[in-house]
Amino acid sequence: MNIEILTPDEDIFKGEVDIATFPGKDGSFGVMNNHAPMIAALKAGDIVVKDTNGEQTFAVKGGVVEVLKNKVIVLAE
Amino acid sequence: MANLKEIRTRISSVNSTMQITSAMKMVSAAKLKRAQDRIIQMRPYANKLSEVLQNLSGTMAEMENKFVDKREVKKVLLIPVTSNRGLCGGFNANVIKQTNRLMNNTFIDAEVTVFPVGKKVFDSFKKSENLYSGDLLSDPSMSGEVFNDLSFENSSDICEGVMKAFWDGHYDKVILVYNQFKNAATQLIQSEQLLPVEAPEAEGSGSIDYIFQPGKEELLESLIPSALKTQFYKALLDSNASEHGARMTAMHKATDNAGELLDELKLTYNKARQAAITTEILEIVGGAEALAG
Repeated sequence: MNIEILTPDEDIFKGEVDIATFPGKDGSFGVMNNHAPMIAALKAGDIVVKDTNGEQTFAVKGGVVEVLKNKVIVLAE
Repeated sequence: MANLKEIRTRISSVNSTMQITSAMKMVSAAKLKRAQDRIIQMRPYANKLSEVLQNLSGTMAEMENKFVDKREVKKVLLIPVTSNRGLCGGFNANVIKQTNRLMNNTFIDAEVTVFPVGKKVFDSFKKSENLYSGDLLSDPSMSGEVFNDLSFENSSDICEGVMKAFWDGHYDKVILVYNQFKNAATQLIQSEQLLPVEAPEAEGSGSIDYIFQPGKEELLESLIPSALKTQFYKALLDSNASEHGARMTAMHKATDNAGELLDELKLTYNKARQAAITTEILEIVGGAEALAG
């Protein structure tokens, strides 16, 4: 699935990943391929994205995630 | 006719002014490019955020939240945004004019407070009794500092103060007055309502069935502040880009005018020089004739 992490100042990450883990308001959750459409709020924590080459971590203060048709858009702060 | 030396001095002074204005134009053009890039950078974020908000707008209309509820407008906070520096045409004056208009017409019955962002507008409202004073928000005379290092974080600091003051009921309406960037030559004066939040029009009646996590209301509660900060930051970025655009245009005109002035002065200088030579020849010829006679 395709993921984009945006902040008001810059685009931090853009690319294909296998799984992404988010610090959701109601607890951490992961998103994999073919996830149902979802909008979720984030709290401060780390976003971890994993692809075949390894994983990357991004610290966020909060934000919101939109999952739609294998496209994940993270509006982070 | 003015004497030669005088004209020569003027020519050299106009020349150096022209050099300054054309250098400023170049600098503004470079800065404008950067400011424009930042707006473009910001756009996908802002668009996505408003899309998400549109999905939730139905809920927003119903929910009870201090940021959304309309109250009777008794106390208004105006936030005019200008630059820290002058020499950019009507850029700052337009914002100040619009702020005064709002204060004296639209909100004449309300108690208006002005919280200026940018040194120029602060200078203009420095002696006004409407100037914000107190410790709810940051010091208005320092608010221009945000333009020295314009980042989302710095802009959020100001915005959070405003949000808190609104939340606590110190103001019933918050209006932003700023120059919207249209293109390098055109700025549009905007008066935009920051608070209370107006529910965006839902488009396409939310055809996608999203899972909302946590519930819609909690989601909105965390989304509204970031939407406000984004709106505020966007206004600052817009104003920043407009400033450089306005300065570029103003300096371009100034350079052109200096060029015209220079041409005129050169013409006068040559005429004066010619006249001086003619007089000299006449004198010599006259003298020679007197001797021969």
